Amino acid sequence: MLPDICTVFAQFKKEEFMKANIEQTSFTGATRYVLDEELAQIVNISMALEMPLLLKGEPGTGKTMLAHAIAESLNMPLIVLNVKSSMKLVEALYQYDTLTRLNDSRFGDSRRDVSNIEEYIKMGKIGQAFVADKRTVLLIDEIDKADTDFQDDMLDVLDQMEFDIIEIDKTVPARHRPVIIITSNAKKDLSDPFLGRCNFHHIAFPDPKMMRRIIGVHFPDIHDELMDNAIAAFYRMRDLDSVEKRPATRELINWIRALKADPDFKPKRLAKGDVPFLGVLFKKSGDYERANSFVNRRKVF
Amino acid sequence: MFLAFFYKLKEVGVPVSPTAFLTLHRALANRLIATLDEFYTASRTILVKSERYFDLFDQVFAYHFQGAELPDVEGLEMDEIARAMLEQWLADPKTMADALGMDESQLSKMTPEELIEYFKQRLKDQDGRHDGGSKWIGTGGTSPVGHSGFHPGGMRVGGVSRNKSAVKVAMERRYKDYSLSGPLTQAMVGEALKRLRNMVPTGPRDQVNVDESIYRTMKNGGEIEIAFDRRMKDRLKVILAIDNGGWSMDPYVSVVQTLFDYARAQFKEVRTFFFHNTIYDTVWEDPARYRKPMRMAELARLDPETRIIVVGDASMAPYELMSRDGSIYIQDRSGNPSIECLRMLVHTFPHSVWLNPVSASMWNYTRTIIMIRQIFPMFELSIDGLEKAVQHLMAA
Repeated sequence: MLPDICTVFAQFKKEEFMKANIEQTSFTGATRYVLDEELAQIVNISMALEMPLLLKGEPGTGKTMLAHAIAESLNMPLIVLNVKSSMKLVEALYQYDTLTRLNDSRFGDSRRDVSNIEEYIKMGKIGQAFVADKRTVLLIDEIDKADTDFQDDMLDVLDQMEFDIIEIDKTVPARHRPVIIITSNAKKDLSDPFLGRCNFHHIAFPDPKMMRRIIGVHFPDIHDELMDNAIAAFYRMRDLDSVEKRPATRELINWIRALKADPDFKPKRLAKGDVPFLGVLFKKSGDYERANSFVNRRKVF
Repeated sequence: MFLAFFYKLKEVGVPVSPTAFLTLHRALANRLIATLDEFYTASRTILVKSERYFDLFDQVFAYHFQGAELPDVEGLEMDEIARAMLEQWLADPKTMADALGMDESQLSKMTPEELIEYFKQRLKDQDGRHDGGSKWIGTGGTSPVGHSGFHPGGMRVGGVSRNKSAVKVAMERRYKDYSLSGPLTQAMVGEALKRLRNMVPTGPRDQVNVDESIYRTMKNGGEIEIAFDRRMKDRLKVILAIDNGGWSMDPYVSVVQTLFDYARAQFKEVRTFFFHNTIYDTVWEDPARYRKPMRMAELARLDPETRIIVVGDASMAPYELMSRDGSIYIQDRSGNPSIECLRMLVHTFPHSVWLNPVSASMWNYTRTIIMIRQIFPMFELSIDGLEKAVQHLMAA
């Protein structure tokens, strides 16, 4: 996700940071992620208790980025399981590649041993996290897309830290307990047994002060005037009534990039109520229209 | 340890489980928690599993560890008003001071806490003299949970300076928006209705059915034969019947609009009908209820698997529901009381619900709601209600 943000960030003081963080075991933040102390504490407690951490929050509050940040700062590999609505739990654990085996047994032109089923077992994302040589960060993204059964069964696996491969009757235990981060966009609650096994945190949308720091990390050389005006205008636009998809951090960052790229743009225009490149902030046509009429109305006065 | 805290949480309605409580103790035993701030974060992340209860948790925490008062029912409104006054004071100190008959400079010397206390005192006085309700107070909006939350200083990362923002902290209830009383947005409607679907195979056979392929190949003595299936598509039929007549539905227009918009976008086969107050022999396809009528008899010929969602406040004069010529429109009077039509609907379409924008706690005060509830499974038009309604609609 968000490759644009990552690239912008990656340049920032990376070497310096890596030096400081070698051999670190608790999480304090990463180069491209502005961490709130509260959240750092929650991550550390969840790691110490070996419990999965469930993160909820509006899109654009950095739920997915957090997992990337943890992986980076603790120097662990990150494994991402993107949950899809049709997904079955087995797919996340392992896959028995029957078609290849069928093909091999029929045509016999591969080096695999057809009578050994194990050669046709491929690990899924959770499986990969279990058999990895070192401790990994396992990000299970957008768990709410799957149905309740998937969620509960998955937590069983994560609770016991092992699963069976039925085809070869083998149990795969986790060699190192992964750090598990689960994200959910849903406003509604997940099932009770699921929640019972997770720690929970809700990431609120950053307040303007926090936003300044986030923007500061993304654009180290940004002018104060542009920053102030852009953030003020952004929160003004976010407060519009009856907007369906409110612009989030991602939109703000792209918007500032657009503003910076426009040679004719003056930050003063923002203070006067002019908002250029509305399309970067509002992606739904209804929202765009509403925002546009709001901006134009302001101009008249 | 902290047993009282745990039970207090349970008492005010935060769903906390003993297992989670034990986990918290494990954290304590492992010396993961050293300060009160840490205890706040840790206990919240471990015990509370939904942001909707964060607000309540904040209050209980403040009560338990700071001796802050828990909100009581009478205090509620006062509290909200005092808060509104504080906001007003921040926005426009002069008007406020004038309205209170105080000197502006005198007020500005007070701390926010003192201000709130002072406002409350003034409000109490006003109550006593029965000349309260000055217009500029305005809001008076109540919420099921009053009183501000406690947010330990350590939480406000980013070095917020204390002198100015303390006023803001006094008003801050960071999680108020997430509590159960929050407004129903399209996203929430979407979440709730997502589970409402009926997958049936349609289209060309273009998906490999692995199990079937293996079975047939074995049957063939190893000669590969690949079986294809049709794709699964959602083919759920939904009928949305909306009460759009009269002023009694006016306060709920926006929430119904949200539901309507979402249903349009989500379901392939959704038909919308309109009616006023209750359903007689006809429903209309146009919002003006004039041009395109649809007779009940035609409706009954539709697929009985169709899900019927009626949206209306179900509030009317009892005769409109019970009497044989109850309709307030003369052309609707067919000699069949509306309640019979409703019964027929539920009978024909076993999967039907009635969504009522009126808060469930008020249902027992309206005769017609009580009567319609006996026929139609009725749910509140809120996040929780929608979810239950969807569960009901999908039940076999």
